[in-house]
Amino acid sequence: MNAEHRPRTAIDHLFFWFMFANGGVITALLMPVHVLVQGILGPLGVVPVVDQHYDTYANVIGNPLVKLYLLVLIGFAFFHFAHRLRYLLADFGVPAAKSLPAQVIFYGGAVVVILVTIWILLTTIPISFG
Amino acid sequence: MPLNWWTRQRHYFLYMLREFTALPMALWLIWLLYEISGLRSGAHGYTPPRSGLFVAFSVVVLLFSLYHSYTFLKLAGVIMRIKVLDRQIPSRVIVFTMFGAWAVASAVIAFVLIWFAR
Repeated sequence: MNAEHRPRTAIDHLFFWFMFANGGVITALLMPVHVLVQGILGPLGVVPVVDQHYDTYANVIGNPLVKLYLLVLIGFAFFHFAHRLRYLLADFGVPAAKSLPAQVIFYGGAVVVILVTIWILLTTIPISFG
Repeated sequence: MPLNWWTRQRHYFLYMLREFTALPMALWLIWLLYEISGLRSGAHGYTPPRSGLFVAFSVVVLLFSLYHSYTFLKLAGVIMRIKVLDRQIPSRVIVFTMFGAWAVASAVIAFVLIWFAR
């Protein structure tokens, strides 16, 4: 049997589909409430929100669970965004969006955002359990 | 295919709109990271978000975000196949559960964001 004809599991495909689907669910469940509360109600002064004051925000961001939560939210979200934007480009008539370099750029971009997120979370307000 | 193929039918337009929701949501999360890193300037350097421009931006992002939530959670009923005791769970039930999870998650996050502001 020729090696090329052997059926193989598309592990890479499975991985990206997993990241895309989970990113889709996570952003669907969590994005609107963050945007509504932190982006609209807080700035307008309708309700008190943690990020309106340094003390309360620093307190929350220092919590390791919050850091982990933000990493999961942003990490999955950007894999989802990378996938969607790549297909959006392809649907706009840019066939290059389906090429390997485009995949490297888009998913690589998501990885860069994740690394930057880790760096920001680790260097902003040290982890405290208080 | 002409570049404007997606403007000819409402269905195509909504499909493209669904894919586009990723862009405003990505921008908002990048803003969130920027805001968090602003804490590094300390109690006197940190400026909380209060500008009207930012609120307007968030309103636009919220609309796209809600459209993504609605379409993606509805889709979950189509792509998720769950069997319990050899019987297929109706997609109606799955969609209802997903929307329930959305309500619960939103309530929990809103509670944390507001409760710890005191």
